[in-house]
Amino acid sequence: MKVEIKNWHAVAQWRWDTGVSEANGMDDDEGDVCGICRVPYEGCCPACKIPGDDCPLIWGECTHVFHMHCLLKWIGTTASKQQCPMDRRTWGQSVPIFSSNTLSSFCSYC
Amino acid sequence: MATDALRAQVAAKWQESFSRLNQNEAGIVGLLNFSQAWNIARECMRPRGLDEPDPQTQYDKATFQASFELLNKCRRLPILLETFLDDMRNHFPVIKQEVDQYTLEYQNTLDTTHILNLVFRLLQWYNKWIPRQELGTTLQSAFVLSFQTHMFSILSPAFVRGFQALCASTLPPTDPDAIAPEPNVKMWEAFETLGLLDRYENIIASVGYEHIEAHVIATCSGQWSESMLPELRKWMTDKVVPWMLLMYGRNATTADDAKAMLQNVGSRFDFHMAKTLCDLRTKEIFDIIIDFPDSSGALQDLKECLLRVDQRAALVHTLRKANHKRLLHPGADTRLILSQYVATIKCLRIVDPPGVLLFKVADPIRRYLRERPDTIRCIVSNLVGDDDGGDSLVDESEPIQPLQQSELEDYTDPNWEPEPVDAGPDFRANKPSDVISTLVSIYDSKDLFVKELQVLLAQRLLAITDDNAEKVEKERRNIEILKIRFGEAALQVCEVMLKDMTDSKRIDGHVQSQKTSIIHPTIISKHFWPMLEATEIVMPGQFRALQEEYAKEFSTFKPDKKLRWLPHLGTVHLELHLEDRTIETDVPPLEAAFIELFSEQDVWSMDDLIAKVGSSVDKAAALKALLTWVDMGILKEEGENTFKLLEVAETSTPREARTVSNAAMELPSAPSVQQQQAEQMRVYWKFIEGMLKNLGSLSIDRIQAMLKLAPGYDQTVEQLGIFMEAARQEDLVDVYDGLWKLTPK
Ligand SMILES: [Zn+2]
Ligand SMILES: [Zn+2]
Ligand SMILES: [Zn+2]
Repeated sequence: MKVEIKNWHAVAQWRWDTGVSEANGMDDDEGDVCGICRVPYEGCCPACKIPGDDCPLIWGECTHVFHMHCLLKWIGTTASKQQCPMDRRTWGQSVPIFSSNTLSSFCSYC
Repeated sequence: MATDALRAQVAAKWQESFSRLNQNEAGIVGLLNFSQAWNIARECMRPRGLDEPDPQTQYDKATFQASFELLNKCRRLPILLETFLDDMRNHFPVIKQEVDQYTLEYQNTLDTTHILNLVFRLLQWYNKWIPRQELGTTLQSAFVLSFQTHMFSILSPAFVRGFQALCASTLPPTDPDAIAPEPNVKMWEAFETLGLLDRYENIIASVGYEHIEAHVIATCSGQWSESMLPELRKWMTDKVVPWMLLMYGRNATTADDAKAMLQNVGSRFDFHMAKTLCDLRTKEIFDIIIDFPDSSGALQDLKECLLRVDQRAALVHTLRKANHKRLLHPGADTRLILSQYVATIKCLRIVDPPGVLLFKVADPIRRYLRERPDTIRCIVSNLVGDDDGGDSLVDESEPIQPLQQSELEDYTDPNWEPEPVDAGPDFRANKPSDVISTLVSIYDSKDLFVKELQVLLAQRLLAITDDNAEKVEKERRNIEILKIRFGEAALQVCEVMLKDMTDSKRIDGHVQSQKTSIIHPTIISKHFWPMLEATEIVMPGQFRALQEEYAKEFSTFKPDKKLRWLPHLGTVHLELHLEDRTIETDVPPLEAAFIELFSEQDVWSMDDLIAKVGSSVDKAAALKALLTWVDMGILKEEGENTFKLLEVAETSTPREARTVSNAAMELPSAPSVQQQQAEQMRVYWKFIEGMLKNLGSLSIDRIQAMLKLAPGYDQTVEQLGIFMEAARQEDLVDVYDGLWKLTPK
């Protein structure tokens, strides 16, 4: 018998590629949350309504990941002293490994 | 012993009486005159037989008058009257005999002519005996009183019944084409003379009332489309009023006079007509509501009648009782209850615009709906036009407006009006007025509706397979309308779902342009879709390859993202090329995964198959997927839980096998097929058990509706029925009054 697939209507979820491999846990449904707003990465920050490209993530050199809007708000406060809120190391953005749309939405947000 | 003084006293008295009777005439001349006058008077005033000549023929007027004057002078008239009345009483047995005779004849024949004849006979006696007018009114009225007293004492209840029937026979005929009987004026005059009208006024009125009732019931029962009141009022004027005139207008000399006399009694009859119609409509109210809007005439009538007759409490009571008996029971479909509730809202708003009646009637319906688990689903399905076959609860014409929440009264409002007198303490006049707001306000919060909306929208969106732009657009328009009702913020999540749909299409367009694929995924945002119960399936062979290829291409396009498949969702369109046949079909992913494995190897045990697709698939789901292929004649069960591919169809071709099984379905006596059917159903037993445990007892339709939410369930309600019956025989469930429940352990 030969099985020929004519059409497959499938369903998938998109996830941010936070660098955490699936191998770390078969199920990451508990999911990772933004350390600032406690909302999952795939949700959106309190200022946004649409998740995904409109509310992107930002990766620190320290490997901490936040909603970009959350981090920018944090960095904007004097209390932050430009440090990562999780480990108090001076915030440095990791090399933008991804496309430019992260930055462009950053600009449109400002 | 008498003293001298006493003797003298008696003698003086006697002398005085004698002198009066003797009129101071010489000797006893006066006494003789008196005696003659007495005899003449007695003869004149004697109760005579009907065939005896009248006294006028015996004595001339002068003699007659002279006698009376003489008696009057001697103060003997009262004695004469007394004697006359005594005589009359002694003669009444003769009349009684006649009365009994006529009454008996009426009783035997029920012919009211006998009663009429009796009345005329009584009138004859009356006229024969009544003292001559010149004797003065005192004498006449004493006679009338005495005659009537004796007469009524001998009229039996049977006569009263006959009299009632006689009056009824004078009514205008109910058939509008029949000619009304010529009014018998003599009869009504006889009634009047004999005092029957005054004595039996209530009976005559009841004849009129009953006539009105019969007419209203005959012409208005079940006639709801038009208002009946104008026609009824015309009938009253044309037919009933002329009849009433015979009785109540009898002494009227002019038309205006008659009108004035009729006013009072006429309004009593009109009231009775309104009350009869009101009672009838109250009795019919439940079905009138079912018939709405074809029954608006009846509702208008009811409104007008209620202004005249205070029957509001009776209406509320009747409707609540009917609702309790015919609507609010487990056998009624939630959709039916909702549409009857909406119709009730509309109908009672016509009858009672302030809404007091509605408030009182609606309360039990709302409380009942709140207890039903599928009420929200029903309302929401209806809102999004997903109600298969059911009428929309909302009129197209009703404007779409934001939900109105009930507020506390605002006494500073210049348009504030006090509440109607029969409003209860909980009544709020300014509660939501549009249907949707009213339905949503059954619940304390609208959040439940929004959640349900999301679930429904998710199901609908994920079911869209082919070129979907148009269907997604339709959902978008729906959501736009719902946003007006529920508010933008509440439906933000739906907005993301719709965006995911269009994004998926765009992404797919891009991926396909890079590398064509036959997999077209809908890519959803994790936290914005309702929980979709997840079964991890590892898709084998070419399926996995397709997934990986597509995911790679996706990540190239969106480098910061990756895809996580939800393999249990979606559908696969397959073509199976077998040695002797090709089969094309749409199946869920698990079915596709299994058949892919059979392309590698002809025989599999179920456990091995499950191991191949990831062990999170449970046996029930696996069995169901395999039986799909068995049904199609592609697999065959060989021994326990072992399946074999039929590369060549078995002698009984799949088509025939299917026909056989379908035919056998209607004959539940064929055990083997029934067993097979039951086996498939067994997969769903845990669902059924779960819902019965949580929801108490359910009708077969409710169980079917809920099973449809289970993945891949495709049994008919008849098949479910056979299964439930089998479960009952195994003492797992019990059925009572159409409701299934678990047998207590
Ligand atoms: Zn955040
Ligand atoms: Zn944001
Ligand atoms: Zn850090």
